[in-house]
Amino acid sequence: MKWERIRIAVMLAPTLLVISILFFGSLLYGFLQSLGYNPNIGATDINFDAYLRVMFSEEFSGRFWSGLTLSLWVAFCSTFVSAAIAIFVALLLRRTFFGKKLAVFFFQLNLPIPHLVIAVGMIMLFSQSGLVSRMLGELGLVTSPRDFPALTKDAYGIGIILAYIWKEVAFFGIIVLAILQSLGEDYEAVAQSLGANRWQRFRTVTLPLIMPGLMSASIIVFAFTFGSYEVPRILGVGYPKMLPVMSLDFFLNPDLNARAEGMALSMIIAFIVLVLIFIYMYITARTVRKD
Amino acid sequence: MTHLSINALTKRYPGEEKPAIDSLSLEVESGKLVALLGPSGCGKTTTMKMIAGLLEPTSGDILFDNQSILNIAPEKRGAVMVFQNYLLFPYMTIAQNVGYGLKMRKVDQATIDRRVGEMLELVKLPSLGDRRPKELSGGQQQRVALARALIVQPNLLLLDEPLSNLDAHLRFEMRDLIREIQQEMGITTLFVTHDQEEAAVLSDKIALILDGTLQQYDPPMGFYESPKSRAIADFFGGVNFVTGTQDKGRFTSDLGAWSAPRGIEAGSGLATIRPEDIEICEAPGENVVSGNIVSHVYVGTHSRLKVDVGAHQFHVVADAGIIKTYGTGSTVMLHLPAEKIWVLPHAKD
Repeated sequence: MKWERIRIAVMLAPTLLVISILFFGSLLYGFLQSLGYNPNIGATDINFDAYLRVMFSEEFSGRFWSGLTLSLWVAFCSTFVSAAIAIFVALLLRRTFFGKKLAVFFFQLNLPIPHLVIAVGMIMLFSQSGLVSRMLGELGLVTSPRDFPALTKDAYGIGIILAYIWKEVAFFGIIVLAILQSLGEDYEAVAQSLGANRWQRFRTVTLPLIMPGLMSASIIVFAFTFGSYEVPRILGVGYPKMLPVMSLDFFLNPDLNARAEGMALSMIIAFIVLVLIFIYMYITARTVRKD
Repeated sequence: MTHLSINALTKRYPGEEKPAIDSLSLEVESGKLVALLGPSGCGKTTTMKMIAGLLEPTSGDILFDNQSILNIAPEKRGAVMVFQNYLLFPYMTIAQNVGYGLKMRKVDQATIDRRVGEMLELVKLPSLGDRRPKELSGGQQQRVALARALIVQPNLLLLDEPLSNLDAHLRFEMRDLIREIQQEMGITTLFVTHDQEEAAVLSDKIALILDGTLQQYDPPMGFYESPKSRAIADFFGGVNFVTGTQDKGRFTSDLGAWSAPRGIEAGSGLATIRPEDIEICEAPGENVVSGNIVSHVYVGTHSRLKVDVGAHQFHVVADAGIIKTYGTGSTVMLHLPAEKIWVLPHAKD
């Protein structure tokens, strides 16, 4: 038994070593840079100046707090609306009907499509000079591109949210559909025979049963939409910017002194995501204890 | 109390050639417990789901007190179903599970608490209200499922194989509890089972369904003493069959002529007698045949014998102590009481 354990540990060691060096090494290096330690430019003092500058200096604080607000707004809206749409569609798709396989295929079609492609697709379709705007122009419903609502490159992140919804509905859908299919409809049948109407059945039976899976998926989607930069970089505006885009800007700044602020922002993003994961783990553990 | 009428109820699933249930008609009197009995896949659960409104019939009608309920939403029919696998909501406490139906009816919490207490008392689980379903045994979960159904005072209680997931001891206990509660509350109850003994012990009447068709609808004794076909006799454990001719209360076969006043009056017939109705006797006489014991199994309360008589083999249930007198290979005389022989019509090949 003891030798078996040692054998497994030895076999896993090379992989774990590489992952540990890459993950924890870069995390440590990034953390040190966020503390101002960057020997390449002769900065060896360790302090929290970059964090303080990013969050509280006159130069950056406005951008930071508006960026944080936008990031939370986009992540929350994308997660919540995607989950809601996915539940609705999954409830429809679990029924037996002609062409169900085809419908499920189309529902999950955009799962393998990269976020970048979705973002570009959003520009091509929904920007003020995009395909939809031009078609409406042809139909005489809008007279100039400016009459078409600004769905991309807008201050409220509508385009970013729509792009994430487009992509994440399929992700949520595949999880919710799998849960619903594994549960079957008997619990709802029991509730119905006990007098629960459609809404009561959804609220008191379906939702609580899919909630653990839905929560896991929500944390993943929230963390991803909160921390990724490609979609907001393409579909966002100059101000306010989501935190990951701000962090990238600092990182790409030719002035290497800005690297500390970039890393400080990345650490703040990672910290918020970690807090969310701990909240999720706490809720999950509580649910597991209950059930 | 509700009188249930089922009229020519048929359910045909899309793409299926044969209906799952075909022109089923039966009447269930108020306050009675009726078993829908049959092997797996015969259509009994389909019937129950149509009554509960969880499935739509292809044709036919279902009436509660002479009023069709087909246009009433399932949640308003008052036909509450208890499933084989309990289906207690895992994220609720036992008390919340039991009170679910009242909560959906927006009954005030004080009344719900009081009624939940009464129901848990009724199913003999008074102190488990705060527990979660997974902390309960299968038998306890089934009692909770029963309490959850009874709390809404249903017009009709539908029990879908409620005992099949329980071990033998719990099954007997639960069987008694169901009968006791059903009689106490007087709820018209339909009970699905594939176990003929369970159906016989629990129900006032049995509806035997084979292959989607109602075969016989009678009190339990009718299935043992006067089955309407060989298939029904087979299903109820009938194993002794002799072909012959019936005429004016006398049945003639290659084993001789017997007095057999019950069953068809004349024509080609199949005489059947239950193993427990055959008596071992000492002297030849009317309705007595002689044969050799080919196997003998002692099962504690009784013995099971197989006796070769001519080209036939009779199964006999005898006293446990018979082994002291007759062993395997012994010759034995069997008395087939005339009033216990039942003659079915039999088509010659």
